[in-house]
Amino acid sequence: MGKEFYRLSAGEKIFKVVNYLLIIALCLSIILPFLNIFALAFNPGKDAERGGIYFWPRMWSFENFGKVFEAANIGQAFAISIFRTVVGTAASVFLTAMAAYALKSKTLPGGKFFTMFVFFTMLFSGGIIPYYMLLKSIHLTNTIWVYVIPSLYSAWNLIIIRTFFQQIHPSLEESARIDGYNDFRIFMKIILPLSRPVIAVISLFNAVGHWNDWFTGAFYVRKAALRPLSTLLQEMLTSAEAMRDTLNQAAGTNYDMIERIQVTSNSLKMATIIVVVTPIVIIYPFVQRYFAKGIMIGSMKE
Amino acid sequence: MSQGSSSLLKPDQTGRKLWKKVLEHRYLYFMLLPCIVFFIIFSYIPMGGLLLAFKDYKFNKGILGSPWVGLEYFKTFFSSYQSGQLVKNTLIISGMKLFLYLPFPIILALMFNEIRTRWFKNVSQSILYLPHFISWVVVVGLLQRVLAPDTGLLNQLISGLGGDGSTYFMMEPKYFYQIMFGSHFWKSIGWDSIIYMAAISGVNPDMYEAAKMDGASKFREIWNITLPSITPTVVILFILSLGNILSAGFDQLYLLRTPGNMELSDILDTYIIRVGLQSGQYGYATAVGMLQGVIGLVLVVLANRISRKVSETSLW
Repeated sequence: MGKEFYRLSAGEKIFKVVNYLLIIALCLSIILPFLNIFALAFNPGKDAERGGIYFWPRMWSFENFGKVFEAANIGQAFAISIFRTVVGTAASVFLTAMAAYALKSKTLPGGKFFTMFVFFTMLFSGGIIPYYMLLKSIHLTNTIWVYVIPSLYSAWNLIIIRTFFQQIHPSLEESARIDGYNDFRIFMKIILPLSRPVIAVISLFNAVGHWNDWFTGAFYVRKAALRPLSTLLQEMLTSAEAMRDTLNQAAGTNYDMIERIQVTSNSLKMATIIVVVTPIVIIYPFVQRYFAKGIMIGSMKE
Repeated sequence: MSQGSSSLLKPDQTGRKLWKKVLEHRYLYFMLLPCIVFFIIFSYIPMGGLLLAFKDYKFNKGILGSPWVGLEYFKTFFSSYQSGQLVKNTLIISGMKLFLYLPFPIILALMFNEIRTRWFKNVSQSILYLPHFISWVVVVGLLQRVLAPDTGLLNQLISGLGGDGSTYFMMEPKYFYQIMFGSHFWKSIGWDSIIYMAAISGVNPDMYEAAKMDGASKFREIWNITLPSITPTVVILFILSLGNILSAGFDQLYLLRTPGNMELSDILDTYIIRVGLQSGQYGYATAVGMLQGVIGLVLVVLANRISRKVSETSLW
């Protein structure tokens, strides 16, 4: 604000202050619930029962995390989430970028047709049931590959990356071609290194998508050992609610038991939420500086 | 793909020329091949699977071998007592997200545009974009906690102010729309404002200078310069989002659904999952999904045509 602020008219001053206050309020609406979860996750469940824990733990403890890791086979779920995020993202971004480079070419015979072929899948799909039947018939359901293979390509990402490639000056490619580079080498040695911002943003979107996807694990996988973290959390949320309902419906006969179940399921839930959210919050600041650029590219297409 | 001049050549020469061109691009074809195979398998074969909507699916006979039932499933859906409620719920929820929600990201972008303190802008933007990257599973987990009866933050605040702090917000149908809209707002407003901010930063600064010379107030500047300048962006984004009118957001609604709010929160997407994946009525669920997909496609095509006429910008 500074000196300039005093020169403004009264109305403009009020406008400015209200503006800042509203934005601060919005930010608090995001931070405070997370702090609440954080406080409950790091506070022993028995003590939290007494209530009065808002934005900071009353006494620090890793008890809930210990319980979560031994009870809910969360370690395995974590490993599966890491696997699908790392392998799935790396494979998908590389393959999608490669296809985007091929479709960028203006001289490729059939290029226009193939672009439309990919683009159309964004407008129309067979829907969830035929898709499920397909996954079943090629034996992808109930395997770890159902997390990786069906999301190898995304038409939307392909088009964003292609748009970025189209803006790279063609002279670089031309001179490489004169030096005897083939298309694949040009892609690897020239195009990819020049495309760091778009690759970073698409990788982030992709990784977050993998990390957050609970649907695949919930509906295409039956083996409990193959559940990723997000699905585990989703099951915890739904089953805890369901359990509470049935118990409440049982005429509240045994309040003590209801309390106990709520306490344990609550602290488990909170700790699991922290485990799910932490990796995203850690990686987020590093990739954030690429946002503006990456999103501008996406929006230009629109 | 033949060029204009090549049509004058004899067929075998055209073929040879094309073949030569294809050979020249062989690396590109190798790079593209897995992509095309992928979309054939994972997008086009399921489109063929839409045949299910007209078949009485028998597990041992496969999709092609199962007997035809014609439009049976469509009739069943339209005559079922649920269909009206489902379509109504879907339209209300997506309508709220399309119309009611529309001005808020624009307002936020305008608010950010007035902030001159750099660090404050950076920090608050980082915080406001964050929920976009948090899954609905976590968001609903937060909601369950914050809105929990007795022990949740909101109920503690209410009882702290002397009210009754035992409301089970997630179960009460009368709070459903607030929770649904509020959580959508909370999760999306920051991220959705980015595109409008980009549009605002593209406004010619000379116009503001001229307005200042004429003694225009800040509000006049926003009303007469900024808003008209970003109208094309707003219109295009709005028209294109019309195509989603029949999908009101599966993740959010599936997870927010409780026995208490079911009558308002059950939408086409959740219904398809329930009757299809959970109770195995594959043909029927495919038919309902197909209705949704076809209407969506028609709307996108129409919206694109309108957008091309109105603003000379279109998806294709």
